[in-house]
Amino acid sequence: MKTFEEKWTAWLDGQLSSRELIEFESSLPDLAAAEAEKRDAQKLGAFLKKELGAQTLSNEEFFSHQLRERIAREAEESTRPRQGYGGQAWWTVPRLVWSGATALALFVIFGIAMLREHQPGERSEYLTQILNSKVDPAANPNATVSIFESKNENKVTVLWTEGLQSLPADYAAK
Amino acid sequence: MELRRLLIAVSVILAISLVSSADAAQAVWSGLVIAENVPQPAAIPPELTKFEQTLKDLFGYNQFELIGQSSKTLRTGEEDWLASSKYFALHVDAHGENDSGYALNLKLYKEKDILLETEANLSRTSPLVIKGPQVGSGQLLLVLVVKGDEQTHRHRHAEPTNPISAGWHRLRRAIHNILP
Repeated sequence: MKTFEEKWTAWLDGQLSSRELIEFESSLPDLAAAEAEKRDAQKLGAFLKKELGAQTLSNEEFFSHQLRERIAREAEESTRPRQGYGGQAWWTVPRLVWSGATALALFVIFGIAMLREHQPGERSEYLTQILNSKVDPAANPNATVSIFESKNENKVTVLWTEGLQSLPADYAAK
Repeated sequence: MELRRLLIAVSVILAISLVSSADAAQAVWSGLVIAENVPQPAAIPPELTKFEQTLKDLFGYNQFELIGQSSKTLRTGEEDWLASSKYFALHVDAHGENDSGYALNLKLYKEKDILLETEANLSRTSPLVIKGPQVGSGQLLLVLVVKGDEQTHRHRHAEPTNPISAGWHRLRRAIHNILP
């Protein structure tokens, strides 16, 4: 069974059947006032339909509208600071460039410093160096000393003496 | 955030590097060796195994017998020690550590007489062999080797003249010298 509001709405829209219409109108206390209200409602409906009805866009207008929206969106994005993956904005392009340039400069300075310290032809610091060597001249007047390195991978530095006084085999004792 | 992570990583690497360099105490092994040719040569002492072929090629003997030895761990680089046999003694006096190794003063004594005196910079990667006097049919040899820090030793040995590696070691030493 329909409520009064449902019947009222159907009456305003002219949707009631003849029997329902007679029954509903007879139930109204003031039919004239209801009729006036119905006319006002219909007038308002017509007005709203006219003023607020969906505006159909032509293809051209729709395309222009989409384009304008996109331009506006992109313009808004470009004015915002760029965001990294973690929401960080530290690695901006200028900072990346500066960081790269600084790293390169440090590398060059470090490389030059190393090359200056290790001049070509300089004796490698990885070889043992004999700075000074002397043999007792009184006991070994003809002794000579020479220095060389083994050519194999062991890099043995040899201090080679010649002319030292020979000793008997007993001296080999532990 | 990224910068902070990078700084933390660099700090950790530097700290590990400094700690490892600080802990790398090295020992200098010094030996008095009689080299001679014998029909049935004895096995070479383990300290010389690495240089066996080099010694054979250099001196032309087939046996290398230890008659005296000493191994000294260097903490300050200022230590001194003696490797001796019955008649010979090698006195080693370290005068500090430098870029390439240890500054040493070496004195070879025959009983109480100094036969030979040498100032040397003993490299961590390059052993020193001194040809001493003829003894009977053999030859006295003095051998000095820096032991310990084997990993560094092998690395440097493989690429002794790599400037990047050398630069890194210099930088590490410089930082180590600056920091207490």
